[in-house]
Amino acid sequence: MNALAALETGLLLGLYALLAGIWGVLFALAQLREMSIFRQSATVAYGLHAVAALAIVLSTPLGLGWKCLIVGSSLAFLALPPMTWRFLQHTHRDGVSQHDRKSSQHTARVVAGL
Amino acid sequence: MYRSQTLALKYFAAAITFFGVMTLTGLLSSYYYINPDFLFGILPFNIMKILHINTLVIWLLMGFMGSIYWFLPGELGRETAGIRAAEMLFYVFCAAVAVVAVVFVFVQYGGSNAVALWLINQGRKYVEAPRWAALGIVVIMVVFAYNVIGTAIAARKTTGIITVLMIDLVPLMLLYLIAFPAITNMSADLFWWWWLVHLWVEATWEVLIGCIMALALMQLLGTSRRIVEAWLYIEVALVLGTGILGLGHHYFWIGTPGYWLTIGGFFSALEPLPLLGMVVHAVYDAGAQHMKTTNRPALYWMMAEAFGNFIGAGVWGFMITLPQVNLYAHGTQWTVSHGHFAFWGAYACGIISVLYLVLQRVRDLAVVEGQLWKWSFAALNLGLVGMTGALLVSGFVQAFVERAIGGSTLSAFISAQENAWFVDGMVTRFLLAIVFTAGYVVLVWDVLTLGRRVPAAAVASAAE
Repeated sequence: MNALAALETGLLLGLYALLAGIWGVLFALAQLREMSIFRQSATVAYGLHAVAALAIVLSTPLGLGWKCLIVGSSLAFLALPPMTWRFLQHTHRDGVSQHDRKSSQHTARVVAGL
Repeated sequence: MYRSQTLALKYFAAAITFFGVMTLTGLLSSYYYINPDFLFGILPFNIMKILHINTLVIWLLMGFMGSIYWFLPGELGRETAGIRAAEMLFYVFCAAVAVVAVVFVFVQYGGSNAVALWLINQGRKYVEAPRWAALGIVVIMVVFAYNVIGTAIAARKTTGIITVLMIDLVPLMLLYLIAFPAITNMSADLFWWWWLVHLWVEATWEVLIGCIMALALMQLLGTSRRIVEAWLYIEVALVLGTGILGLGHHYFWIGTPGYWLTIGGFFSALEPLPLLGMVVHAVYDAGAQHMKTTNRPALYWMMAEAFGNFIGAGVWGFMITLPQVNLYAHGTQWTVSHGHFAFWGAYACGIISVLYLVLQRVRDLAVVEGQLWKWSFAALNLGLVGMTGALLVSGFVQAFVERAIGGSTLSAFISAQENAWFVDGMVTRFLLAIVFTAGYVVLVWDVLTLGRRVPAAAVASAAE
């Protein structure tokens, strides 16, 4: 890897991760506020993230295995915010108290065993 | 108030004091880069840097301990077991840190012998404290673990969070023992030393702050135990799943077998994934509360923790984590930039958040408000982000000019140090370190006077 390629690759990797974060935040805001501007911005952010991934795959001297990792991570980044959101909704939807008591009772038995 | 919570207040006071020492020594360290003759013959740069990094570790550790001593009695419904020993050890801890700091400043270094190792400096980066002090830390950690585990046993009760915490305390204690061996083979020594440095920071501390944030979330937003515990389990699994073998990214260039290039690169490339989940979670929580809470500083610092962790550890780390880039970036200011941002985001913001929660209870404030916290929040975060940006620019120059073009020769090192971009980056870093320091001063002022200040309107009406 030559000097310029090292710098470019580092910057592209940072941009790649940053855009994944922006996609996640905008996705969450879109769900929260139900405003089309957030939905569209989230789509654009993920699109830019995909472009960054493509640039890493096509223009950097990383090996094939690392490029596959980048593509796989992009897919994981795509799925993560919706999955997280669904899980959050699921956990917040259900009641609280009964599970809390059960959880405490269960762990209390473990400690009592000590 | 439980005695444990009174002890927590002392730990927070000590933590904020050492936060100040860290900030001051960091500011002075940054000035050496602009004026290398600074304090020539009096205090060399390496000692200032040792003080900066060691006080970072100490203040965060004290912040963690303070948080746990604060939440533990409420969580388990009884006084902390062994509280007398814990109270006594707090003073021992503070005195030991002060003595070590005095030795570092005035004695500075010794010969290559056992006396220096035991009394002056162990000579191992980040754990330089002499052996007697390192032994003291082990004792403090053992008592701390006893406080937590003993309380759960005495109460015949635990919770999911406390169970995770108890499990975490075991590796927290054991890993510190790696600070002791004096292995003469440098590769073997570094191999094990990274277990201490990396696995403390990117495994046991991550779990510790996860537990503390879970407890804080329940108090701050009234989030149900079931939700925070479910998230704690998931996040701990993901963080440990990626973080433990992410250790490999420190093994790239220390003489370990080549397979670490693949293992380290692969697992550390996965590390941003759980951090993104935390960011989405933070947005959800803030949105569910409409950013309304009786303690806005605590909420804002908690949000800063989630975002700072993702950007500092996730984004900044991802830039340099693949071996092909790391070959040029490791050991440059690029890495320093990542380290500053990651520690700030992952730990410091979380502890400041808990501090505001504690202050609300102690000062019996229905609502925590005011202007000072906003100024300190802005100055600290602006200063920190600015510093990391400036360090990044300087780090690029080093990676490009010194490493990739110059091939890491002495002449290439000098070329990079004299490069205008590098110099400008260092000057900018120093200026933003001043902003950060100002933010710290405002934070301390706010913490000292919160709830005790007389509103301006009240003063005016009293005058009339």
